Amino acid sequence: MVAARTRLEIATDNVANVSSDGFARTVARGFLTPRGVEVVGEPAGGHGALRHTGRDFDLAIVGAGAFEVRDGAGHVVRTRAGAFTRERDGTLRDAGGRTLIGTDGVLRVPDGARIDERGRVLSGERIVGTIVLPPGSSVHAGYLESSSVDAITEMIDVLSATRSFESAEKVVAAIDGARQKSAGEVARIK
Amino acid sequence: MDRALFAAATGMAAQQRNLDTIADNLSNSDVAGFKGSVQTFAELAAPGEGGLGTTPLGSHLLLTQGKLAKSGGSFDLAIEGPGFFNVVGARGERAYTRGGAFERRADGSVRDARGYALRGVSIPADALSATVSEDGTIRATFTGGTRTLGRISLAEFAAPDRLRSIGGSAFEATPQSGRAREIVPGPKDGPKIRFGMLEQSNVSIVEAMMQILTAQRAYEANAKGVQAADEMLRIANNLQRG
Repeated sequence: MVAARTRLEIATDNVANVSSDGFARTVARGFLTPRGVEVVGEPAGGHGALRHTGRDFDLAIVGAGAFEVRDGAGHVVRTRAGAFTRERDGTLRDAGGRTLIGTDGVLRVPDGARIDERGRVLSGERIVGTIVLPPGSSVHAGYLESSSVDAITEMIDVLSATRSFESAEKVVAAIDGARQKSAGEVARIK
Repeated sequence: MDRALFAAATGMAAQQRNLDTIADNLSNSDVAGFKGSVQTFAELAAPGEGGLGTTPLGSHLLLTQGKLAKSGGSFDLAIEGPGFFNVVGARGERAYTRGGAFERRADGSVRDARGYALRGVSIPADALSATVSEDGTIRATFTGGTRTLGRISLAEFAAPDRLRSIGGSAFEATPQSGRAREIVPGPKDGPKIRFGMLEQSNVSIVEAMMQILTAQRAYEANAKGVQAADEMLRIANNLQRG
């Protein structure tokens, strides 16, 4: 029953993030352990589809890698959500206020500069900064990576988790019934 | 189970917020120069504990160019390219807009329906007609001939996405957007002014309808998650019998 609960938790978390850009769905993996079945969540491979937005600093990564952003407390985190806004000082921030960092610290985008597919910030023909990318990956400006959650798959998971919870409940009830019998009837001395 | 309930609830709240934004876009889809906005969400996760649902991060302005359409107005202006019209409100407050449905008034000012006047523009009432060229120059015809009456300048910002919407298509500057910088329309690679045209809102009705459908279904899917979690709780509570 605990395993079914964990599966439901994973599925509902996925469904909740169906609109979160760059979100990678979590898959439930079951393991047989001496104490029964244990379910853990793992990030699924694969990425969401790109969708066109037309904003200059909506960035999407094709291939592996993630944007490195720094939050207000100075922690650097990695995210594939690339909806950035250019601030007065030329830095790119996401809606959570985190700043995009490039190969040489905080990335600054001059007026009229653009970001090319290799993650380079081009001001005219001059390269003024680069986004950290693993080889083989590219960046697409004007696009966002949608969440990789597919609501249909998740709804099936929700349903199957509920049903296996019900089955497990039947087993518990059966064991309980058997014990009740042994305690109440078998042990009775006639 | 509480986590499943909570995660699904954050999803429902997020889709509600999403719908609010889409509805606002849709209701302004007929406003000339209106710029739609987009709500963004991020996952809510505790370190080492896995996902706890989603959280709204905020909304972005979508400052893409709207389509230009020929209009019937007497002093309709549209901007092709970046920038905003410099306008002044009834109480003298400065605002910026790309909605260019202006009209000449008897006092010489050129105002839109909400009362915002083009800053620094005055066309005497005895002018028979007035036109604006690509570079913003205003030419008026009088009974005695044609005269140039100044030039319309545009405003641009270091961070236009950070402007604050003050209703309709009007914006005001914020510390984050930076101060307005004047730019002149007309140069080859710069913005141009189109007289007799209006910029339509950049909200696509078809796209907005699709977004509404998706948001509604996502809301339902999250609601089903709440139901499933509730069902499990019910079963768990009924384990103890007689």
